Amino acid sequence: MLLLGWVVGSQLGWIDPFVLPTPGQLGASLWKFVTQGYENHSFLAHVLASLFRTSTGFAIGVLAGVPVGLLMGYFPSVNAVLSPLFAFIRPIPVIAFIPLVILYFGIGEFSKILLISVTAFWYIVLNTANGVRSVPALFVQAAENLGLSRGQLFRHVMLPASMPFIMVGLKTAAALSWAVVVAAELIAAQRGLGHVIMDAGTFFNIPMVYIGIGLIGIIGLGLERALTYMETRLLHWQGK
Amino acid sequence: MAAPGAPRLELRDVTHVFRAPVPGVPDTLALEGVSLVLYDREIVSLVGPSGCGKTTILNLIGGFVKASTGHVLMSGREVERAGPDRLVVFQSPAVFPWLNVWDNVTFGAKHRGVHGREYEERARAALTSARLTGFEKHYPYQLSGGMRQRVQIARCLMLDPEVMLLDEPFGALDAQTRLDMQEWLLDVHVAYHPTILSITHDVDEALFLSERVYVMTPRPGRIQAEFVVPFGRPRTIDLLGSVDFVRLKAEILRLLHRADRDGRPA
Repeated sequence: MLLLGWVVGSQLGWIDPFVLPTPGQLGASLWKFVTQGYENHSFLAHVLASLFRTSTGFAIGVLAGVPVGLLMGYFPSVNAVLSPLFAFIRPIPVIAFIPLVILYFGIGEFSKILLISVTAFWYIVLNTANGVRSVPALFVQAAENLGLSRGQLFRHVMLPASMPFIMVGLKTAAALSWAVVVAAELIAAQRGLGHVIMDAGTFFNIPMVYIGIGLIGIIGLGLERALTYMETRLLHWQGK
Repeated sequence: MAAPGAPRLELRDVTHVFRAPVPGVPDTLALEGVSLVLYDREIVSLVGPSGCGKTTILNLIGGFVKASTGHVLMSGREVERAGPDRLVVFQSPAVFPWLNVWDNVTFGAKHRGVHGREYEERARAALTSARLTGFEKHYPYQLSGGMRQRVQIARCLMLDPEVMLLDEPFGALDAQTRLDMQEWLLDVHVAYHPTILSITHDVDEALFLSERVYVMTPRPGRIQAEFVVPFGRPRTIDLLGSVDFVRLKAEILRLLHRADRDGRPA
């Protein structure tokens, strides 16, 4: 319905094409973006720049978040120390930290990746810790009974048993990491879809703003699908 | 027919109290002055009404819980922690759902540094004994309850257990499957000769499997009687209908019933 209204409205001249571009304008801008790039960088360079920041930040968030989450879930003392701190920081929007991050770490790639990894980290930690707490005592008893060491217990019981929860964390974190890339690219980026949107907005290039938003949405959907596919493959043992 | 020599497993005057987690809630006296003994390669059963502390005894021997007072001895040494010299067959199958049958069965052996060819052979033998050949790549959610319990027992057999502790592992199975499992357990005992302590409220099962049967009282759990089961081995299910079997069963049931009635507050 919305789509139809847009197409018909544009054709009949009811909508100001400056405020809402026509389908023709959008198509032309997208074609130009794909074939000629935007602002000295190719289409692929922009998309890959954003994907690179997201995936690197996400990977760091996961690699740091899973071990911390395992420890928080298993040791009440670790949880008692860290959880109030995390609960304090988690609700603060990551954008609020941008000035500080620029001040401390400059405007390079590191700052952008840091913001993304921190976002991913919170959600991975939270879900991993919940996962560990939900591991049935029976599994722990069985593992101890079979003579597993503490380290083996974490690696071979806690981690796989928490996987369904960790997977929820991964999906949330991936979606948020991808969303935060736009915010991260506010920091003087030369490439990336977030940069394209900001830059096009500054110059009232409204069609490019819509294209940037649309691409972020589509790629985000793709990421979610990929993780869901991974989930069904890895966690089939839940027998759902 | 208790074997001579030093006991493999012994409880000496064990009393156990579960402390209440908060003040104002009463503590629970679970076991009072329990003494029992298992000799090498014996099968002994512990029968009693639910809530009598049977599982607490198993948790003490398993090393999951420390007794308030008294001694829990394995081969004459005080039990300090859980360990694979006392393998527990849990009531609900403690198989790991993210591992297939093969990986579940070899789980303990693999992580204890038992090596390649040796454990592969042992695993094949255990799987054959458990009639799980052909299911190596299946996951627990694809198996029946009886098969899951066989996976759990096969995993124990891999480690050549000195002592096996059975926590009513057949309780949730249907009557036919339960009989199959009991017969299989007797075969396992012949092949692997572990010392077995079986906890159950099924008097048939206790008499069918055991050399001796301890009968417990309701809470606080005490040993009220010990029976020597006079039937030779091998035993078949025909035994379940014999006059001597039924007479012994009736006697144990009468004890359990009387204790239950007398134990109840007026």
